[in-house]
Amino acid sequence: MPDKSELLLGCAPITEKPGMDRAMRVAINHARHGKKAATFGHQQAFDAAIAKLVRDIPVDEQLAEWFAHEKLIPVARRGWKKIVRNPVVIAIAIALLVIGAVTAYRVYEHLNDFPGADKARRLLTVAASNRSVLLDPLQTNAAALSDLFFMKHRLEHYDVPAEFADFKTLGSRVFDDDEVRRVAQIWAKEKRMQFFLFPAEPDKEGKVNDFSDWRFVELEGWTGAVTQRNGVCFMAVVRGGEKDLRAYLEKKKQ
Amino acid sequence: MAVTTKNLPQLYRFCFLMTGDAAKARSAFQDTVREAATRTDAEEPPPDRLWFFREARERCLALGEQGIQAEPGMLEEADISSGAATQIGQLTPEQLALWISAAPDPQRSALALFYLDEFTLTELLSLLEMKAAELSECICSGRRQFQSWLDATVAYYGEEAYDAGQI
Repeated sequence: MPDKSELLLGCAPITEKPGMDRAMRVAINHARHGKKAATFGHQQAFDAAIAKLVRDIPVDEQLAEWFAHEKLIPVARRGWKKIVRNPVVIAIAIALLVIGAVTAYRVYEHLNDFPGADKARRLLTVAASNRSVLLDPLQTNAAALSDLFFMKHRLEHYDVPAEFADFKTLGSRVFDDDEVRRVAQIWAKEKRMQFFLFPAEPDKEGKVNDFSDWRFVELEGWTGAVTQRNGVCFMAVVRGGEKDLRAYLEKKKQ
Repeated sequence: MAVTTKNLPQLYRFCFLMTGDAAKARSAFQDTVREAATRTDAEEPPPDRLWFFREARERCLALGEQGIQAEPGMLEEADISSGAATQIGQLTPEQLALWISAAPDPQRSALALFYLDEFTLTELLSLLEMKAAELSECICSGRRQFQSWLDATVAYYGEEAYDAGQI
């Protein structure tokens, strides 16, 4: 019984076409350089002679007109449905969608960024990891702490904005951070809210541009509303979303 | 690979090898191409070029059923000689087509498709709906039978071939 390579040699291609099976290539290579080289050579010559004869089959003129009639077989166009159902197209579309979504998220995240946004996000991590016992107990109005920061720590313009000035406090502290530098932290009774006051970040030209509106930063379920006055940033932090803070900011406007 | 009118000469040659008769080949060829055009008009175009050859094969076999049918294993066989190419060079395409069309199917289809030198092995197996071993057997026995017929028809003396007569 002939082995697999002999079977393959039996139907070895007359002219080698691209994409030929590897097993066939190996069988042909062995046959050309092995003991059966002469027999295989005769077979190849035999096949080539017949193929040449086939190519010489005459086609009468009447039929040749069919070959010239280009519209006889319209080229089948691939419908858009077929293209859309192609797994490769689906995979590319999903990949583009994911890349687009991530890019859009990143752009949205930094759309309202301001110099100092990175510092603010860093302080959100501080807020998330803090306990109120770390602060010096102090029960007063938040606004009153401005004087304390100035008198005790020589921190100028560390003022709590009017929106949060009346909030009762539980405690406060002043600490140094490697990146943010001198930070004043206040813990409020209201919704366990925390306030941070820290030096503003200058822009690329070295100027500190204050902004009186509120800008938001988010990180891992914590949200901060930031405003900047007199070169000092104030950030109110709450565990939750932007809408939890907006309620306080809009209440003050009314 | 898309089918264009450039592929049609090969389709006609296939029909000619299958039927051994120019009129029958023309009929099978034209019917196949018309069917393709009709399907295309009906928004169901032939999926690939293999469709044309499958369709033409069916038509050629149907036309062949009207004549005398060959039976398998009736021909003598001989080893392929070193002068086979020269012997074949003495033949006309019509003689080759007559011999192939007289073979029993599926050997007839296998030989006709194989010697078109148009298809890969995978395409041939798909067209003929057979396994590589069966295809190999069809072609190998076809070669040996053809060599035997050549030896009886076209004598070979060294570098010169002698045409012993017409079939």
